[in-house]
Amino acid sequence: MKKSYLVWMICIMAALALSVSTPAFAAKDKIVIGHPACLSGKYAKAGEQALGGIRACVDWVNKVRGGVDLGGKKVPLEYIYYDSESKKESVTSLIERLVTSEKVDCVFAPYSSGLTLSGAPVAEKYGMLYMDHGGASNKIFRQGFEYIVQTIGPATSYHMGTLDMIKKTDPKAKKVALAYEDSEFARMVMEGAEAHAKKLGFDVVFSRTYPKGVTDLTPLLSALKASKPDFILGGGHFEDGQLFNRQMADLDINANALSLIAAATLPAYYQALTSMAEGVMGPSHWEYGVKYSEAEAKKVGLQWIGPSQDEFVDLFKKALGKEVIPDYHAAEAGAAVLAYVLAAEKAGSTDPDKVRQALGDLKFMSFYGAWDIDDTGLQVGHTMVDVQWQMGKRIIVWPPEAQTGRLAYPMPTFADKAKGKVAAPR
Amino acid sequence: MILNQLIGNLIQGLVLGAIYGMMTMGLSLIFGVLKVVNVGHGAFIMVGAFTSLYLFNGLGIIPILAIPVALLIGLALGFIFYYSAIRRLLNAPELATLLATFAMGVLLEEIAKFTFGSEFRGYNWPVSKISLGVTVLPLTKLYACLGSILIAVLLYLWFNKTRAGSAMRSVVEDSEGARVCGVNVQGVYALSFALGIGLTVTSGVLLTMFIPVGINPYMGGPYTLKAFVIAVLGGLASPYGAFFGGLVFGLLENGSYTIFAMLPHVEPFALTRFFSFLILLIILLIRPTGLLRTK
Repeated sequence: MKKSYLVWMICIMAALALSVSTPAFAAKDKIVIGHPACLSGKYAKAGEQALGGIRACVDWVNKVRGGVDLGGKKVPLEYIYYDSESKKESVTSLIERLVTSEKVDCVFAPYSSGLTLSGAPVAEKYGMLYMDHGGASNKIFRQGFEYIVQTIGPATSYHMGTLDMIKKTDPKAKKVALAYEDSEFARMVMEGAEAHAKKLGFDVVFSRTYPKGVTDLTPLLSALKASKPDFILGGGHFEDGQLFNRQMADLDINANALSLIAAATLPAYYQALTSMAEGVMGPSHWEYGVKYSEAEAKKVGLQWIGPSQDEFVDLFKKALGKEVIPDYHAAEAGAAVLAYVLAAEKAGSTDPDKVRQALGDLKFMSFYGAWDIDDTGLQVGHTMVDVQWQMGKRIIVWPPEAQTGRLAYPMPTFADKAKGKVAAPR
Repeated sequence: MILNQLIGNLIQGLVLGAIYGMMTMGLSLIFGVLKVVNVGHGAFIMVGAFTSLYLFNGLGIIPILAIPVALLIGLALGFIFYYSAIRRLLNAPELATLLATFAMGVLLEEIAKFTFGSEFRGYNWPVSKISLGVTVLPLTKLYACLGSILIAVLLYLWFNKTRAGSAMRSVVEDSEGARVCGVNVQGVYALSFALGIGLTVTSGVLLTMFIPVGINPYMGGPYTLKAFVIAVLGGLASPYGAFFGGLVFGLLENGSYTIFAMLPHVEPFALTRFFSFLILLIILLIRPTGLLRTK
């Protein structure tokens, strides 16, 4: 009899000890976001922006909102990051470290579709919420992962607005050429673009890829020139976008419109190419000037959270200690923080399963725009804008409700641009 | 139409190939004299690219005039790295020099990132173009090609007409024999390493004249790989072989694209790389010492 009491006592004590050490039941004194950031290597530029965006929104949550409201208690948000050097192997090992050693509550994906996809199985293995802010490929969400949630829009939607805009502006335009990086992200973008182009009645007269890290596009562009397209959609990431535009100018390849993904919308693009970038367009998830506000959210019946656009810009500058305007990499990463905070508050917990469920039910608006996901975690609420370089300035030309200026079409020829002609709407 | 494209691409390939060749000569020179494989090669190309960028954007100095500046910077870096690290490792296992040159590359990349940031930059030197009918050639590319050929010729004359060049050749042939004959082998090592780095940094300027965008602290990676392939193709220890290898590589890379583009359901760019490496393999099977290197 005494022996059975002893066994019961041990069982009860063990159960108590276990319950105390299990985070789900422990009183949280902080919520930790872990991030294998891209601070060096290929994606260092985008990675720095993402870091600034996350820090800015973490600061806003702590200083303005007073922390994350978990069942009536305000808990501070903490951000831990390590440099993944834009390498897949570092991403996977850093996620392991963040989950097992740092005991984070949520992992933010690094950047790019390839790196995001490489880290997803690790987060999945640990049942850890994985916030994707820079991996646009739809393929990531076709793998059956349960803990990944996207804030950046899906790749297949990137050029839909561009095609709609050209169809409306120039009904006679017929021939489209697609030339893009052989990467997961660019393939998905062009898969969506090709399907939408065909739906709108365009002829795809050229469709070719080029490898990652390409240093010379001359052979591909010579072949593209021979197909005489009315307009060109292309690109992949920043460096090849610059190369694409520059070598089109070198080879005197002129088209009515040129839209390049992930490159043309960034200030450094125009700084590097100057007049050659006049009239070049690019789709963007967010641009400084797109004013989503609390009033706008109210109008469309969505909950509002986060700083205003100008507040975000100030917080971003403070976070990086630099006088730079954030680009969409920063905005989408910041918006992912807000989504997590809102979901954790709705769940009243940091338990990944509960937060994931809350994210599934979540619909809101922030400075980044609307946010909503489907069952797979794919972003379906956010809409993109098209930006064009006109007289050295970025003008939002599509959709009409977000326009800050009209489209300059056709784009001036490279010979005219060399003589000083700028892109201006007629 | 296809023939025009092929000829156009071959012309572009030849111009680019001359720059590839120039880009590889420094690598081959260092290996030929010191038997050191410079794994950080691409970072020195990046230094040249930034030299060109900042002289043009900051001071308005055209890239042609940036060539002597880059050469001086390269020579200085070469002597610094030689006397601070390489000299101590000449008799160490090969892994030590591999790690040392790798570390040099990382150091330069991170200094560049810290100083200039990680943005991809570029410059726009507005010069005219020549229309050749089959293709259009901006004069910047032509200047880069002619600059590469001129530097290769000067290097040839240096090796064959000067005492320092003869000393270098003697060390390549037999360093012990050269020492016995009174050649300052340590001095030759230092000069060769510095000259190799100087040529590599200079090639960075020429490269930006061909492609004046994408200038970034980490831009050297793809060029390091190409330089190794070209160096092996031309004969790893032969700077002239490297130049010739560069021309062959440029022609293969650009020319084969047009041919593969005629095949249905293939991505020509992917096959272009495959083809370049296949030709490399075949050449090595026939001439294991490379195209221009004797046994």
